[in-house]
Amino acid sequence: MKLKIAFFDMASCEGCQLAILDCEDIFLHILDLVEIVEFREALSETAPRFDIAFVEGSINREMDADRLRDIRARCSWLVSLGACASHGNVQARSNALSPAENLQRVYGAEACHTVHTDPEYWPLWAHTRVRAVHQVVKVDYHLRGCPVDRHEFLHLVKRLVAGSLPRFARQPVCVECKYNGNECAFAHGETCMGQITWGGCDAICINGGYRCDGCRGLLPGANLEAHRALLRERGLGEAEIDSRYRLFCSADVGPQEAQP
Amino acid sequence: MRGFLTTRTAVLDWLRTLGQQEDVFFPLPLGENSFSFDKVRQHSRLAFEDFDAAPGEKPFRASSCVQPPGKKLSPNNEQIFRFSKNAHGEYQLTPTLDERPRIIAGLRPCDLKAIHLMDRVHSDDIADAHYLTRRRNTTLIAHDCLQPCDEHCFCDATGSLRWRQGADIFLTPQPEAKLLLEALTERGERRLDDAGFAPCSDIEERRALAEEKRAQPFGRHFDAPLQRVIDTVSDSWESPVWDKHVERCFSCGTCNLVCPTCYCFDVQDDYNIDDPDSGQRSRRWDGCMLEEFAVVAGGHNFRPQLAARQRHRIKRKLAWLPARFGDGSFCVGCGRCGHQCTVDIDIFDIANDLLAATEARP
Repeated sequence: MKLKIAFFDMASCEGCQLAILDCEDIFLHILDLVEIVEFREALSETAPRFDIAFVEGSINREMDADRLRDIRARCSWLVSLGACASHGNVQARSNALSPAENLQRVYGAEACHTVHTDPEYWPLWAHTRVRAVHQVVKVDYHLRGCPVDRHEFLHLVKRLVAGSLPRFARQPVCVECKYNGNECAFAHGETCMGQITWGGCDAICINGGYRCDGCRGLLPGANLEAHRALLRERGLGEAEIDSRYRLFCSADVGPQEAQP
Repeated sequence: MRGFLTTRTAVLDWLRTLGQQEDVFFPLPLGENSFSFDKVRQHSRLAFEDFDAAPGEKPFRASSCVQPPGKKLSPNNEQIFRFSKNAHGEYQLTPTLDERPRIIAGLRPCDLKAIHLMDRVHSDDIADAHYLTRRRNTTLIAHDCLQPCDEHCFCDATGSLRWRQGADIFLTPQPEAKLLLEALTERGERRLDDAGFAPCSDIEERRALAEEKRAQPFGRHFDAPLQRVIDTVSDSWESPVWDKHVERCFSCGTCNLVCPTCYCFDVQDDYNIDDPDSGQRSRRWDGCMLEEFAVVAGGHNFRPQLAARQRHRIKRKLAWLPARFGDGSFCVGCGRCGHQCTVDIDIFDIANDLLAATEARP
């Protein structure tokens, strides 16, 4: 019997689901291996149970957390899909501010007051902290990146279908940069997050002439002290370094271990 | 031995012509400050340094070629075999061997020695057919160095500066924008006979001329002769030096992955999505500085400490493999690891620190 897979979205741009739909050249072959039973972006059906749940997006409201717990209870493997689900992504930057200050910044003083006083808006008030999926439920695998890499998605699905363990090498972006024979970003005066960031993206940004901004999250055991010192040596100020670390919020949520 | 003398331009034109018939790899510009051994096309920008070039003035240097040329003989993600099910439901394996002829040109003596060492490694015990098949079909055209690459170079200290073995053709810079071409193998002779260059009758004098021009001292030198370095690294197990040189280390594996004598790999199987009964096994470059390198079945990591991984790397280059093969240092002094490490961790400094620590010991 084919494995049943389902996709869910929380707070996100849904770009990761699009990245998966981008497998269109082999999508029909994927459907020979698995059955998609819930996927709002691609079909209208829903399902009570499934083998693999892919959850995209961060958990911003308590009702999202409840929904996530329900999804967890209905699946065998839960996979966090992308940077929002894996470590909060850009929206988790709001965690650094108090909720009142945050609301005032985004909606203005008057709207902030309404949210404070009108019970209709209280669910919004409860939106106080952006969480990654693994901060609410157990996550079996992380598909990292903003957006996810379709080859990693395919690897995971193929391995689970075959009954073997998916493997996401615990190594920084530098490894794939060397596989590709790239010139190091530091070799032309750029600064890069590659040394402390989970690889698996084929160093796509550096291949294209840019630097790594760390969208795949912090590598467990990364030598942050040395990395900050290096960025300082290359002329970045403390505030700039903090901003670089917080862009995808990987540093705030911390590294996620590969499981199992 | 046959020799020819012609202009640099004529040699580069010859390489461009050959590049239209087969794969010719030559250091081509990469990014802003690097080079990469890539396929030569009709209009590729090829250059060799001048006979009178000052240090650093060269168009390209060994250490600024991000990947050493020898990696062309064992490319990353190389397919080892394909598998499929036959009519009886049994799996059949078909090895993948790459027999295409190719030329690697412009490689330096350090990289040449590294290829010689890799020939030894891959012929030892169970021969690596994938490497050896490519190697058999590869012509090597090496180029002498009269000036060190940069401040990272220490090829003379590791005994690779004057390495010629393994080259089919060896190029030596000459005054007046000329090159001396020596055929060192039959394959080299065949190639040069077809090229139509003017024969050279005074090879020895020409080589002496270049030798005279060679920078002295050449690059960096250890604080002791090479054999003392090898003995010292061999005897160093517990040492604060190992800890010192990992304080800034990211464990990113760059030093392994750009090293011309690192050859470790990791294999993985993958099945075809359109026919799950078939697929392939491939291998990708691995590195002993990476955290998961020594993880075995069951999840145990027998080298979890970074300093232990660093020690392992240095000992492979300067103690264990030299002892195993009796062919001198496995560090060829190309300077890539130190050059490309973003926090300047350099095997040269580690070796010198070990020497100093041993001297200081009562």
